[in-house]
Amino acid sequence: MQSELIEKLGIKYPIIQGAMSWVANPSLVSAVSNAGGLGILACGYASSEIVRELIRETKSLTDKPFGINVLLTSPNVDDVVKVVCEEQVKVVTTGAGSPGRYMNQFKNAGTVVIPVVASVALARRMVNEGADAIICEGMEAGGHIGKTTTMNLVPQVVDSVSVPVIAAGGIADGRGVAAAFMLGASAVQLGTRFVVAHESTVHQNFKDAILKAKDIDTVVTGQITGHPVRVLRNKLTRQYLKVEKDITSDEKPDFNRLEELGKGALRRAVIDGDKETGSFMSGQSAGLVNKEQSTHEIIQELMHEYQEVIREQANLILK
Amino acid sequence: MTFEKIQAIIVDQLDKEEEEVQLETNFREDLEADSLDLFQIINDIEDEFDIKIESEEGLTTVQDIVTFVEVELAKK
Repeated sequence: MQSELIEKLGIKYPIIQGAMSWVANPSLVSAVSNAGGLGILACGYASSEIVRELIRETKSLTDKPFGINVLLTSPNVDDVVKVVCEEQVKVVTTGAGSPGRYMNQFKNAGTVVIPVVASVALARRMVNEGADAIICEGMEAGGHIGKTTTMNLVPQVVDSVSVPVIAAGGIADGRGVAAAFMLGASAVQLGTRFVVAHESTVHQNFKDAILKAKDIDTVVTGQITGHPVRVLRNKLTRQYLKVEKDITSDEKPDFNRLEELGKGALRRAVIDGDKETGSFMSGQSAGLVNKEQSTHEIIQELMHEYQEVIREQANLILK
Repeated sequence: MTFEKIQAIIVDQLDKEEEEVQLETNFREDLEADSLDLFQIINDIEDEFDIKIESEEGLTTVQDIVTFVEVELAKK
């Protein structure tokens, strides 16, 4: 499955950089692809014109395959899908919904479609709709998460679908890569580790926060809204969680109070580096991310370490 | 029989009481189920009855699902 997937995606290493809002821009994405992995552009709710610009900019920086994440809840989704197909983007990952409606368009354009899911039921659904592979993301991941850990989600999804499965959530070094393959994955997706890459243009405060973080430094906000998000803890999360606690026992919780706190917080973190009121999305693996490197160094290190770990274990068994 | 099995699956997935899940019950309006809940329920029903449910479109009430399942079972 692993070599089948690598071939399908046209990449050298089974390493994918996950789409992160405001972070996964042409600079980072092209760097990952140039380094032999698969970079994936995030475009949020951007208009199709902006999406086209982002794609073209990325194309000017790399001639290797890259992907784009399409948020199915975007008001511009119909036009964005059209542009993605017109521009012949090799891979599309999808989130927040079902890509079924667009499957024919994608297939006609030769796009590889890989939905991101957080449950077995969703994985099965997506494969029914024609997905070429599945990214299953455990709740160790940063950003929007589900309920199950990577350790449990990956093998259960692998058991339920017959397409390649890409593991995401909590992977930040070669040990995690090796572990993911042991669980049945054919490739891995990383987010947090790539945020601190040299080619990532986020505010230095964001990178520093990740580099400094320990295992316990992320919290999950928004559980009450049904859309939990994992972020680094700071003053904003303290306030947010307090409000969540306050409104939890209300018959009709006033989500506006939460919305006010959260509005623009992601931008404040990534672009402005606002440590107090910014929302710094990050996985639990931030505790493993300790140095700034080029994407090339990151990928090489991941591959070398993963092979070392496997070799060591194999030798133990073969003795 | 079919209804009881489906009712049990829904009660289990959505943490509801049996009285809350009747034939006329509407998933979104009465049970506040979202699409993820529906996917999970459909999954469990597929496994329980060994059938395939291609799309969740048109499955708005419990009756819709019961009818669908009965039709599929009759085909077997």
